[in-house]
Amino acid sequence: MNALDLRIRNHAYSTFVGEGRAPTTVETAATLGLAEDEVAAAYRRLHDAHALVLHAGTDKIRMLNPFSAVETPHRVEAGGRSWFANCAWDALGIPASLHTDGSVSSECPDCGGPLALEVRDGELVRGAELLVHFVVPARRWWDDIAFT
Amino acid sequence: MVFLRSEEHLERWLDAVGQEHGATMPAAKLNELARRWWWTRVERDWRPRTPAESQAILDELGLTGEFWQLS
Repeated sequence: MNALDLRIRNHAYSTFVGEGRAPTTVETAATLGLAEDEVAAAYRRLHDAHALVLHAGTDKIRMLNPFSAVETPHRVEAGGRSWFANCAWDALGIPASLHTDGSVSSECPDCGGPLALEVRDGELVRGAELLVHFVVPARRWWDDIAFT
Repeated sequence: MVFLRSEEHLERWLDAVGQEHGATMPAAKLNELARRWWWTRVERDWRPRTPAESQAILDELGLTGEFWQLS
């Protein structure tokens, strides 16, 4: 991964953490003083490297794992702010990646009931008894990451 | 990957959606995995892990066997 791609990746993450939204190619180009097509090409390379996920057939960011740019059933609050996570793993990944405490609001796909989890000082102090199910085996996680 | 209330809820949900049983773990273990997997993701000096480094994280948490092989 080259220095330009890392710079663009870091800008996307810092924007998402700070503002709760993913920057468009136009915004990233303007902020970093780059051409938009240069940024779009970098977004696609980062997508191919699994460093972010674009909406299919576009240059629009869908996931900056563990963060989701679209609404999901997994809402995470950490450090006084909130985001959506892509899945159960990513939901717990948000407080981990921010090195802070956090809480997760999710729902059981069977009964639709609310599920609450809380991480404090790195430990899961609420919701530790809940079960997590992985549908897809590891070698196929990236075949369809939105499904995974 | 989803959180479920219990094994009973999991089995009922799998039946309802017609999915096969994959792998399960307690949420507390997923929290350990999440901390190791995502710890550096937002940092400015983040670099992609090699497949071997990712596999090592799974192995160290006892996530071994065919289901957990990345390649």
